[in-house]
Amino acid sequence: MGNTEVAVCANSNEAQIYARVGDAWELQHTLAEHDKLITAISWAPQSNRIVTCSQDRNAYVWTPTENGWKPALVLLRINRAATCVKWSPKEDKFAVGSGARTIAVCSFDEENNWWVSKHIKKPLRSTVLSIDWHPNNVLLAAGAADAKAYVFSAFIKGVDSKPEPTVWGDRLPFGTICGEFSSPSGGWVHDVAFSPSGDVLGFVAHDSSLNVVYPSGPGAPPTAYISVKLTSLPFLNLAFTSETQLIAAGHDCQPIVFTGSSSGWALSHSLDDPTSSSSRPLTPHGTGSRVPSGGVGRLGNNEAFNMFKAADSKQLDS
Amino acid sequence: MSEYAFRKIDIDALDEDVILPSDLYDPDPRGPDGVLSDAKSKSAEVRNLISRGDTVGALSTILTEPPYGEGVDEAKDLTTTALLLILNSTRSTEIPAIVKELSPEQQDHLMAYLYKGMAALGQGTDVSGSVLLTWHEKLTEVAGVGCIVRVMTDRRTL
Amino acid sequence: MLTLRSAPASPQSNTLRPYLNAVRATLTASLTLENFSSQVVERHNKPEVETHTSPEVLLHPLVVSRNESERVLIEPSVNSIRISIAIKQADEIEKILCHKFTRFMMMRAEGFVILRRKPLPGYDISFLITNFHSESMLKHKLVDFIIQFMEDVDKEISEMKLSLNARARIVAESYLSTFA
Repeated sequence: MGNTEVAVCANSNEAQIYARVGDAWELQHTLAEHDKLITAISWAPQSNRIVTCSQDRNAYVWTPTENGWKPALVLLRINRAATCVKWSPKEDKFAVGSGARTIAVCSFDEENNWWVSKHIKKPLRSTVLSIDWHPNNVLLAAGAADAKAYVFSAFIKGVDSKPEPTVWGDRLPFGTICGEFSSPSGGWVHDVAFSPSGDVLGFVAHDSSLNVVYPSGPGAPPTAYISVKLTSLPFLNLAFTSETQLIAAGHDCQPIVFTGSSSGWALSHSLDDPTSSSSRPLTPHGTGSRVPSGGVGRLGNNEAFNMFKAADSKQLDS
Repeated sequence: MSEYAFRKIDIDALDEDVILPSDLYDPDPRGPDGVLSDAKSKSAEVRNLISRGDTVGALSTILTEPPYGEGVDEAKDLTTTALLLILNSTRSTEIPAIVKELSPEQQDHLMAYLYKGMAALGQGTDVSGSVLLTWHEKLTEVAGVGCIVRVMTDRRTL
Repeated sequence: MLTLRSAPASPQSNTLRPYLNAVRATLTASLTLENFSSQVVERHNKPEVETHTSPEVLLHPLVVSRNESERVLIEPSVNSIRISIAIKQADEIEKILCHKFTRFMMMRAEGFVILRRKPLPGYDISFLITNFHSESMLKHKLVDFIIQFMEDVDKEISEMKLSLNARARIVAESYLSTFA
C-alpha cells in the first residue's frame, strides 16, 4: 500500500480504513460485518487482503473490489471469541487464536472457494491471547492465559513445502509442539514475537516481565532463557526491530526500547517519557502513573460534591 | 424432584481440558518434609543474624526459596513469624537501604509477605499495621508497581 | 467540639498517608484491565471477578489494612477488579451512621457508575471496575476517586456524628429549659 493506508478498529464492531491525503488521514471504507467487538486486524501487504476477527466467533477475509472491500466468511469452527489473527509471511495462511482453547490455522480451499481451518488443540487449556509467525511460514508462536508461551508447527500439506530444519526442530507435522515456556511469576502471556531470523522467541507477560528465549535444538533445554523483571506496569505488545533490539509497550503508555543478546537483555530507553522535558510528549496525559499524580490525590471540590455537602448542612440550619 | 437434579451438575468441571488452580504452578521440588526442615533451619539462622544486627542477611536468608503451595502450612507459619520478627526489629530509617540490597526475586517475596501480614492483622499477629505500611511504601519506591503486579499474578501462595 | 469541624483538613495523621499510598499503589497495579470474552459461556463478556468460572484469569486478592477495623480488599482479574472497603466504626452511633450512609449510596449505585449494589461480607462498601469503565474513564482519576472516597467517608461520618450530638444537645437544652 506504500504506507498510505491504515485499518483501525475504534473499540467497536466496525473496522475503518483511512488513507493518507496530504497531511491528514481520510476515512475511505468501513468494514461492517461483525456483530461484536473486533479483536484483531491483519493486512497482508503483498496480496492486499485484510482479515478481521471478532468476539462474535467469526473471521472475515476482505478483498478489494471496485465497489469497496468484499467480505468472505472463514469456516473457523470455534465456539468462543476469536482473540487474535495474523497472516503468515507468505500470505497463503493465517492463524486465529481463540477463547475456545484452540488455534485455527486457515488456508484457502480452491475446490470449494472458501477458507478452511485446521485446529491446534493440545496442550492449550486457556484463552489464546497472541500469536506470531516464524519467517519460515511454518512455525507459529502463541501466548495463552495459562501463563505459557508455545511454539507449534502449523505445517499444512499441499500449501507448504517441506521447511528447512531450524533450531526449533526438523520434522514438523501439523501440531508438533516445538517449545513451551512459562512466564516467571505466572502472568498471562500478552504477546509473543519471533526475532527477524526466527531463532529467538520473545514474550511479554502480565507479571511485568519481558522474556527472551534462545532455543538450542529440538528436545534440548534452551541455551538461554532471559527474564527481565520490570518495576513498571505490564507490557501488552512487543516487536523485534533487529536480533539485538526490541520495542515493548503496555499499560505504562510509553513504548520502551530494550537491547541485549543471549547473555542478557536490559532496558535501553523510553521513546515517550512523560518526565523528560526535552521532547514534546506524544501522549498528552499518561494514564500509567510512573510519576505519581500529586501524592494522595484530591479531585478538588467539584460542583456535585459541594452540592452534596450543602444539602447535608441545609437540614442543620433549618 | 430428582429428575431435575441433573440441572445442577457443573458440567464445566467434567470437561477434561478444564484448568484447575493446582495446574497453574509446579509444586515445590523439595517436598513437604524438605520444605519444613529448611524453614526450621532458616528461622533459627534468622534469629541468630538478628541478634548480631545483620538485618539484610536475615531478610535475604528468609526470602530465599520460601515455602509455597499446599500442605506446607507449618513451614509457612514459621517463615512468616521469622519475617515479621525482622520487620519489627528494623528502624524505619534503615528500610530503604535494606530493600535496595535485595534481589528482584526477594523483593517480590517480601511484598507478598507484607500483603499476607496485612491480611492477617488483628488475628493474633503481633505486628502493627503502621510497620507493614512503612515497609510497603519504601519497597514500592524501590521495586515499583511491577512488584505488586507480580504478587497478584504469582500462584505460588506464600 | 463544633469548632473542630470547621478547621481546614488537618495534616493527615501519620498512618493514614502510608495507608492511602499503599491502596493507591495496589489499585494502580491492579487496574491493568483488558477486554476479555468469556471462555465458558459463548458470546458472553462478564466481569470474571464476579463469575469466578476460570481460575487462570483471576489473580491473587490483596488486602491493605491499617488496623483491624480499617482495611481494603482488592480482587483483581483479567477484565475487572472488585474493591471492598471496611470503614472505621468506633461505636454504635458510628456503626449506624456508616450503615445508613453506605446504604444511601448503594441504593443510588447507578449514579456512581462503579459502585456495587451490595458489599462483600465483612466489608461496608464495594466497587466493581470493569474494562469498560477503564476504557471510558481515565485510570488515574478512577484511582483518585476511590482514594478520595476513603478520605472523605471517615470525615463525613465524624461530621455527621458531631452534628448528631450537637442536635441532641440543642434538643435537650430546649426541652430542659422549659423546666428552668
